[in-house]
Amino acid sequence: MKSYIKEFESMDKPSGYYTELVGNLESLNTELNAFNVINKELKDGLPFSVKDNLCVKGVESRASSKILKGYIPPFDATVVSRFKEKGFGFLGKTNMDEFGFGTFGTNSEKMARNPFDPAYTAGGSSSGAAIATSIMKYHAAIAESTGGSISAPAAFCGVVGFTPTYGVISRHGLIDYSNSLDKIGFMSRSSADTRIMFDAARGRDPKDSTSLDAEIKNTKYTKLTVINQLMDGVDKDVSDRFEKLLGKLEQQGFAINRVDLPEISAAIPAYYIISMAEASTNLARYTGFKYGAKVEDFSLSYNDFFKQARTNFGTEAKRRVILGTFVRSASVRSKYYNKALKLRAMLIDRMKRVLADSMLISPTMPVKTPRLDLIEKLTPVQVYSMDVLTASPNLCGFPHISFPYDYADGMPLGVQIVADHFQDHSLMSFTDKWEESFEYKFKHNLGEL
Amino acid sequence: MEKKEFDALLENCRLSLDESEYERIKADVDEIIKYFDQIDSIGTGDYKEAFHPVEIPGEYRNDDPKKFEDVKGILENTKTHRLFVLGPKI
Repeated sequence: MKSYIKEFESMDKPSGYYTELVGNLESLNTELNAFNVINKELKDGLPFSVKDNLCVKGVESRASSKILKGYIPPFDATVVSRFKEKGFGFLGKTNMDEFGFGTFGTNSEKMARNPFDPAYTAGGSSSGAAIATSIMKYHAAIAESTGGSISAPAAFCGVVGFTPTYGVISRHGLIDYSNSLDKIGFMSRSSADTRIMFDAARGRDPKDSTSLDAEIKNTKYTKLTVINQLMDGVDKDVSDRFEKLLGKLEQQGFAINRVDLPEISAAIPAYYIISMAEASTNLARYTGFKYGAKVEDFSLSYNDFFKQARTNFGTEAKRRVILGTFVRSASVRSKYYNKALKLRAMLIDRMKRVLADSMLISPTMPVKTPRLDLIEKLTPVQVYSMDVLTASPNLCGFPHISFPYDYADGMPLGVQIVADHFQDHSLMSFTDKWEESFEYKFKHNLGEL
Repeated sequence: MEKKEFDALLENCRLSLDESEYERIKADVDEIIKYFDQIDSIGTGDYKEAFHPVEIPGEYRNDDPKKFEDVKGILENTKTHRLFVLGPKI
């Protein structure tokens, strides 16, 4: 098993190593927009990056939003402090879609670009984490997923992206998007490194009442299940390549099972209803005087003051606040919000039946990496539909991992494996095995020793 | 959604949109609500609302008074007068 973290720890670093790394990173960052902040003072430890929606003491943390411009947290998020305690060195804050609202990394002041070809999307919302992982050889990325924000950029940038079971990693210090969906996870260049990061960060945290001290299982599954309805909207070339992968896995001894689960079509609308409802309440805390960008005119009425502050939200944030407020309105709450919560309960139950003796497998994204100029032409519903393969595990809190399995026209393709709650290590064991027969490709190797 | 209903919603959200944003976002909101309406056709039987995807033990901190670790750090993110945070009139 290849571990870049262990390799880095065992090697001597030449003097000036960190200065050269930071210099090269700053240069490449002007093209790819991976980082919002780069720590020029880094002197020790394996460099780790932190998605910009996680608080780092003394470092501007603004979830790529103008409304949090200038916010300097006086504390570290629990996951950050746990990494620092293990000897990792803080490298910087990574770019993302504002507050996590996006699939393509385009809802940010600086549009994230794919390291394989800057004309293409890096994916989102953890776009910077994926780019940073793809361009640096020795690096660990802390990311976060609400509806696919780790899997999507991991697939488009050709790295391993792991989203743990909901609750296993403390969310203390996370700038919340949707409390019942947010999960802090990791990106790396190998499954072994993912395991190291996950084990360093997990465990109950008294500062997060939803964090869990659960036993993490490692089951050797021999069966993989494809949900037929999930494949309906997948691009033909992606589907053909995925079928070839299934054939290869069959040759490696896995039984491939195909099932119908028509209710899975509810996953995207249910996910967006719940996430927007929760986002609209979470974003109410940005009032223009407690954090970030300030409204200076104290003569304004409270409502006008608040409205003035919220002009700093981007278009997608405004859209989600409006829709989230709408689905929570007394007259339609049961039709949308309560119904979505019941659908989540039903989908958890139905998917658990399939996950009792197998793991789910699908392409990570339904399309090959899109060009940025084509994304601009998509409607919001078309963008949301791109989450068809990532919405259900995120809605239901199931752990999942995305890793590269093929390259089409020079761009990576990702496959996603989903396991039952708390089977996180099973996913990494599966990926360990995959990496024995498949070598990932990277275009840059900054920090190579 | 009727214009009157949309305007009331904006007021609830404490959001003001400029003219071009207003037309675009209103059209998007209408389209997205139609997209959400597809859940009407899926029955949920006796399932109860799942407020979290996994069972949360619900262990809370004791309600003990304690000092903030870094009051100065917190206040540095605000405009203050003496130790009071400055905000709008209510």
